Amino acid sequence: MKKKITAALLALGLLVSALAGCGGGNGDSGEAGNSGEKTLVFGDTTFNAENGEADINPHRDSGGWACIRYGVGETLFRFSDSMEVEPWLAESYENVDDLTWTITLRKGVSFTSGRAMDAQAVKECLDALMEEHARAAGNLQIAEISAQGQTVTIRTEEPVPALINYLADPYACIIDMEAGVTPEGIVSGTGPYQAVSLVTDTSLSLVKNENYWDGEPKIDRITVRTISDGDTLTMALQSGEIDAAYGMPYASYPLFENDNYTFTSCATSRVFFGAMNFESAVTSDPAVRRAIAMGIDRDSFVETLLGGNGYPAAGVYPDSFTFGGDAVSAESYDPEGAAKALEEAGWVDTDGDGVREKEGQRLTLRWLTYPSRQELPLLAEAAQASLGEIGFEVQINNTADHNTIRTDTGAWDIYVSAFVTAPTGDPEYFFSYCCLDDSAQNVGHYHSDRLEELAEELSGTFDTDRRGELAVEMQQILLDDNAYVFCSHLRMSMISRASVTGLAAHPCDYYEITAELDLV
Amino acid sequence: MKKYILKRVLLLIPILFGITFLSFAMMRAAGSDAVLQKADVSGVALSLEVLDAQRAELGLDQPFLVQYFRWLGGFLTGDLGVSYVSGNDVFSVFLSKLPATLLLTGTSILLTVAISIPLGILSAVKQNKCIDYLIRVCSFIGNSMPNFFVALVLMYLLAICLPIFPVISSDLSLRSAALPTLTLAIAMSAKYLRQVRAAVLDELSKDYVTGARARGVRFSVTLWKSVLRSCLVTILTLLALSIGSLLGGTAVVESIFMWDGVGKMAVDAIQMRDYPVIQAYVVWMAVIYVTVNLITDIVYRALDPRIRLGGEEG
Repeated sequence: MKKKITAALLALGLLVSALAGCGGGNGDSGEAGNSGEKTLVFGDTTFNAENGEADINPHRDSGGWACIRYGVGETLFRFSDSMEVEPWLAESYENVDDLTWTITLRKGVSFTSGRAMDAQAVKECLDALMEEHARAAGNLQIAEISAQGQTVTIRTEEPVPALINYLADPYACIIDMEAGVTPEGIVSGTGPYQAVSLVTDTSLSLVKNENYWDGEPKIDRITVRTISDGDTLTMALQSGEIDAAYGMPYASYPLFENDNYTFTSCATSRVFFGAMNFESAVTSDPAVRRAIAMGIDRDSFVETLLGGNGYPAAGVYPDSFTFGGDAVSAESYDPEGAAKALEEAGWVDTDGDGVREKEGQRLTLRWLTYPSRQELPLLAEAAQASLGEIGFEVQINNTADHNTIRTDTGAWDIYVSAFVTAPTGDPEYFFSYCCLDDSAQNVGHYHSDRLEELAEELSGTFDTDRRGELAVEMQQILLDDNAYVFCSHLRMSMISRASVTGLAAHPCDYYEITAELDLV
Repeated sequence: MKKYILKRVLLLIPILFGITFLSFAMMRAAGSDAVLQKADVSGVALSLEVLDAQRAELGLDQPFLVQYFRWLGGFLTGDLGVSYVSGNDVFSVFLSKLPATLLLTGTSILLTVAISIPLGILSAVKQNKCIDYLIRVCSFIGNSMPNFFVALVLMYLLAICLPIFPVISSDLSLRSAALPTLTLAIAMSAKYLRQVRAAVLDELSKDYVTGARARGVRFSVTLWKSVLRSCLVTILTLLALSIGSLLGGTAVVESIFMWDGVGKMAVDAIQMRDYPVIQAYVVWMAVIYVTVNLITDIVYRALDPRIRLGGEEG
């Protein structure tokens, strides 16, 4: 009997040994000693089909984000650090008239397929984009494209003042349509890296583009690994299986705040904000809206609940935009002022239960939000506490079915969501999608005559400075009406091992793997 | 016997019809759809026209029954459709995830058997001795720890402190499978160990064991030849249930270790309301449970002739 038990235990030991294999180091990150090749593994929580990135085809869903982020594709124009548009694959452009744009392309650029990037290639790509990508077609409104040498002429159906901005959106990555899209979803771009294999929701393998037009890429091979779980991403970076990480949970940051790792962070235009319901008996009252705006402690939310991983918001855009940050003024945290505003409007606590009433109506605020962004439930709880102190009863409905519920204006008072307000660096997008009479996202039915007038003017204004001025004025209208309350902007961070250089966070969140990325 | 098997296979038809209809209805009742979920995750707004166009393209603008029967029609002709989220062929996606799930099922069952049967027997034979208490305490601990916690502890110990195994699975190798296998085997062994112990103790208390002892038959012979054979039915039932659930994937463990199996695929599909993928998963689950139960029934009969299959051979 003893022998048999010993044999069984030995067998178990052998099995574990077999599973362990030869042991040794983990992963294939860092420089490969034998071949002398530089290899890097990049862990990312967002590279997945759920996020619209099943592959790197920019003409499908959000594939353009993966295409541009991982250095495969490039756009005709790109964003500077202050979110201003500058030429990239284009050399220059001219706005001939309201409907016509001439773009001169850079010479000496070729796709990884070997084909030269000329006007004909760009025309083929943009034609395919218009056919396959509904959002791009709606933004660009291209009627006709003509190609001659290195000059592309675009004629639009209507005036599109932000056309150049839209051409910097990831969906406008210029790819070789002759090379096409492989069944795995791989495209041929002009970027510093060439995709060689792709498995949806798992990984993307890149090799350096030997003929890259803007300097020599420094890493020979890069693997982008999809790692959905934040704890796994943390441990993969700790164990050295990955060299850099995007999407690290805030709670893991302290583990990497030492000399062995490097952080790169910046504010993005993703904002966490509440939209008031103008059909609600409670939030249709201007005093209540003002009290809400004054009753949310943005600084404390960002510092305490987000651990400093955000920026308190004043308006729609962060201060990296010329028309963002302090360009507008919003109500600051002032609980006494909020209480006074409510008192003056007739909201008083008559029965002493801590909740104010007015003409039999309790000051109940139905807070609709959703759990898929880790910041939103935290914001709901913070607001529940701080607004509770000034006499609100905040009822939180934190549900994945918010898209259905928000269409019923009888079911909520404030809808709190996360939204990328300026994906193309231009201010018009937020207003046209969220705040106007015909906006798809104006679920609270907010209306302002003046805002409609300015939006009309914005849609026909080509001058960038004037567009910025209009954006400031329009934001101020929203803030003066307290139609929306902007709480914080997302701080996007990437963490890498100290040996990784050239990885820099960008306010538009589009550029991650570039020719500057290196291992030292 | 053949008649019995045929009957069970035919039973699969109403089961498949009922379960796919129910899952389709439940996903619809859950609200939202793949188009909205995708827009939501990306955080980029789409106009109502674009959303409606995308819905129409996927057929989501059609009434529920039309959508279901369209799916059913495709299924009956061998077409499981295309994922609403990735746009890839569902059958190909499913097949690509299957090897990972099969490997993890195989390794975890083997390790579970290797741990729970010897330790369960040892615990029963040494009842109320030190080793029995030690094994039972370990079993309590293993039972009370949730999978994700065990996974993180194992990762920390065996991938970071002692860099033996990888944190993330990079291929279908035993090395990559080691930590997910250990995670699953710890929880299952803790449970089965106690079941094996109880079954062995139950058999040991029977008269034939006392009789054998009285006749001078060696204890080890009674244990291996009679007691264990009688316990096999209990062990087999447990294993059959485990194989069924493991083949359905282990979403938490798969997600944590980035093990690309069907469990993670199913959970992702549910979150994104990806109906074709969910339906394929539901069909798979129905087929494996019916098959595993059928095989178990057949093996029961081989192990214990007292068992009659549904009166067919009574």
